[in-house]
Amino acid sequence: MLALDGIAKHFGGIRAVDDLALTVAKGEILGLIGPNGSGKSTTVNLICGLYPVTAGRITLDGRDITDLPTHRRLSEGIARTFQNIRLFGGLTVWQNLWVAQNAPAHRKERGYLARWLGGSKQAREETGRLLDFAGLAHRKDELAANLAFGEQRRLELARALATRPSLLLLDEPAAGMNAEEIAALDERIRELKRQGYTIVLIEHHMELVMAVSDRVCVLNFGRKIAEGTAAEVQADPAVRQAYLGTA
Amino acid sequence: MEPHLVGVLTNIGMIAFVALSAYLLLLVGEISFGQQAFFGIGAYAAGIGTAVLDLPLGLALAIGAIAAAIGQLALALPTFRLRGLYFAMASLAFAEMMRIVLELTQFQVERDGELVGPNGAEGFRGIRYIFERGIEPAEFLLLVAALLAATLALLAVLERSRFGRRLRMVGEDELLAALSGIDVFRTKLAMAAAAGALAGLGGGLYAHASTYIEPRLFDVMLGVHSLAYGLIGGLGTALGPLLGVGLDIGLLESTQMFAGYRMIVFGGLVAVLLIWRPRGLLDERLLHRLARIGRR
Repeated sequence: MLALDGIAKHFGGIRAVDDLALTVAKGEILGLIGPNGSGKSTTVNLICGLYPVTAGRITLDGRDITDLPTHRRLSEGIARTFQNIRLFGGLTVWQNLWVAQNAPAHRKERGYLARWLGGSKQAREETGRLLDFAGLAHRKDELAANLAFGEQRRLELARALATRPSLLLLDEPAAGMNAEEIAALDERIRELKRQGYTIVLIEHHMELVMAVSDRVCVLNFGRKIAEGTAAEVQADPAVRQAYLGTA
Repeated sequence: MEPHLVGVLTNIGMIAFVALSAYLLLLVGEISFGQQAFFGIGAYAAGIGTAVLDLPLGLALAIGAIAAAIGQLALALPTFRLRGLYFAMASLAFAEMMRIVLELTQFQVERDGELVGPNGAEGFRGIRYIFERGIEPAEFLLLVAALLAATLALLAVLERSRFGRRLRMVGEDELLAALSGIDVFRTKLAMAAAAGALAGLGGGLYAHASTYIEPRLFDVMLGVHSLAYGLIGGLGTALGPLLGVGLDIGLLESTQMFAGYRMIVFGGLVAVLLIWRPRGLLDERLLHRLARIGRR
């Protein structure tokens, strides 16, 4: 579904991502791990177009999206969450979901008339479902800025889902969570997989990554050093060296 | 109505336009120190319209607004693609440049045995349209008030629309707005054009109210004030900048209450508000709370 072909991103002399090839199959959860500064977040930023690639190509379902501007990748079905939560704090919970559902890029393809005639009730139900999924139904009129940290994380995930993506990029969704919240997140991610989403999961919380990922890819210094199932990756000497240093 | 009061209210109305123009840019997260330039462009263009070209007032005001909108777009096009303070810096530079251009502009024609038109640093005398037509100050105030009310109504509709929500999204987090499918650059350009047009309209009115304009009037103090009006009055609604103008001109400048100390009080007010209420008196939170009370 998603294919990165030899992509690179250089910031001046720093090679944040270098000649990286990666594929994600439909319905799969790919765990993307690596030490700090290994290029995981940069990779996600390149996929959603926050900055242009230095080299390489990105294709989604066979369509080349390498040069597509950020605001048009939404309608290609890409949505993400951020390591440091990003929400519209001045909008309410409900409005945050609403603006994601009604993104201008979506409206064109669905037609103004269709929305006018039957869209709104359906959209309202969808918002309700998302609020339930995120456990935020009772908070729907609260400003996003006033939510507790855990609630903001859940809202961010719901916001990403509201754009009706096929590919979800989750950048450290467990950061700052306690064990109980992580267990709930684990369950939520599995539920998303059952619903057919394709997910790229960046995470430092190894237990979570290893538990939910179908495949794990390990980066170090912008390059892929290992790829495989959780067990394979954990046994890989190159991975051990990257994380623990040489013995 | 008392002539002094008419004068004060007319002033508030005209300055409100340039305050609103700075506000529109603040909404999409851009700080401009140069709105005085577009106020000036509008004043000169509209003044030339009636005094030199003999056009009707409405047409001259429209020309002023359009000229200012084009000017603002010319400034926005190269700078809005850059992140950070580039637009703020460029707006200040552009405005100073514009002021000097106006000081060098000579475009006078003879009318009724008298030279009218911009005469460089000497200024632009004889924009006598409303006096020649015998329009009373109170009638002119009515015109200003009607145009301002129409603008505010239009902005109220705009802010409740999808586009209005999009503006605030861009202003709050450009990156997230782009990821939410918003063409950030085009949204901001649209705002720049609107901001330029509003400042230009205010300038056109100003030129006709005072009959005489000079480049010096359009210096950075006007720009800083227009920026401050939104920050004082609040960025939650278009009524915020209007409140700011009302406080400053209505209370500080026009009454003798703080005679001589106006700038100290004004500066202090800005400083206190930036700490206490960074988004002004009528900010988004207050409006949200009011809306919730209203719904109950």
